[in-house]
Amino acid sequence: MSNNAQSKHQTNNPFDIFIIGARKGFNVAINNLVPNILMAYAVAQVLQIMGVMKFLGDLFGPAMVVFGLPGEAVTVILTAWLSSSAAVGLAANMAANGLLDAHAITVLMPCFFLLGAQLQYMGRLLGVADVPKKYWPLLMSASFLNAFCAMLLMNWVFAR
Amino acid sequence: MKEEKDAKQQETIQELNPEQWKAGPKAFIALIVAVLFFSGLMVKFPDMKWLAAFDFTTLVGNFGVIKNVGKDTFVGSGGLGARGGFMFALSLVPSVMFAIGCIEVLDHYGAIRAAQRLLTPLLKPLLGLPGLTGLALITDLQSTDAGAALTKELYDNKLISKKELTVMGSWQYSGAGLINNYFMIGSAVFSYLTVPLLLPLILMFVFKFIGAIYVRIILNTVYKEDFKNEQ
Repeated sequence: MSNNAQSKHQTNNPFDIFIIGARKGFNVAINNLVPNILMAYAVAQVLQIMGVMKFLGDLFGPAMVVFGLPGEAVTVILTAWLSSSAAVGLAANMAANGLLDAHAITVLMPCFFLLGAQLQYMGRLLGVADVPKKYWPLLMSASFLNAFCAMLLMNWVFAR
Repeated sequence: MKEEKDAKQQETIQELNPEQWKAGPKAFIALIVAVLFFSGLMVKFPDMKWLAAFDFTTLVGNFGVIKNVGKDTFVGSGGLGARGGFMFALSLVPSVMFAIGCIEVLDHYGAIRAAQRLLTPLLKPLLGLPGLTGLALITDLQSTDAGAALTKELYDNKLISKKELTVMGSWQYSGAGLINNYFMIGSAVFSYLTVPLLLPLILMFVFKFIGAIYVRIILNTVYKEDFKNEQ
């Protein structure tokens, strides 16, 4: 009883605050992470069966060498543009299947977020903040630049 | 009053009348796809294996199997499709809960405010932004939507110019909601990282500035004319 009263008045208790955060984390994990990864796994399955993965891998293989990535990684990069969580899910799936190794995941990590979910954030961020539409392509090019430079740095310097 | 009721009833009757239902060609195609998708027919063509990609049972996939007792987790190995994805995602829930719980506590003790304090002196020289934009930018690290709302408020109150708004937008756009997204979503592949956990985060943070500086330079050169009338 006394415990209950305390938690009501004392929001300063770090344990209570942790619980609030953990609850937020649970909601995000169940409502965002699980559906997104479930979809990513299903999409990965489709791509795999249809041979799209292999096709894109062969097509972009040479370009991906710069980043120290296998050609298949291009599907992850393209997915990242649509949704960060789908891209991470896809990468996790490919890593579990041996298509991507630890080095590739490390290189891709900044790309998931620097290029992440640009399509969504056009509405949620640029639209809401009223950034003039004229400059949206410029901002998008900045994101691409960021992601590619970050991947190069990861490949050449940090993930050696 | 009664007329109104009659009109409403008439409307309902109209709606329920099968002749009024509209189903264009798209709807029929969707129905055909649905029937084929759930029928299990698509896996019956050994010559065209790729058709299996449009079969419900194929995409539902398999749960992983625990092959090495004492080594595999409940996710098992070889999980595929929706089932595999679900179990894998479930295995991430504890780390996400724990990470967000910790961030919440650290935030409570002012970690974010301290970051804002450190960031503010950098804004003017690097991005040409006034110090009062610091809060919106720092907020964006945690929540894209809250950051966007704060940015709009600054612009609506005429505290920042259109150019400053665009530079702010570029800083926020690449890697929006960085800290939370990194720990919530990125945690799925943390176990593969060959570098310290914080390194990609710091790198991305630095690149947010680089991207914004690039946008600022372009705005000052290519789009110079657009901002002539602003002070």
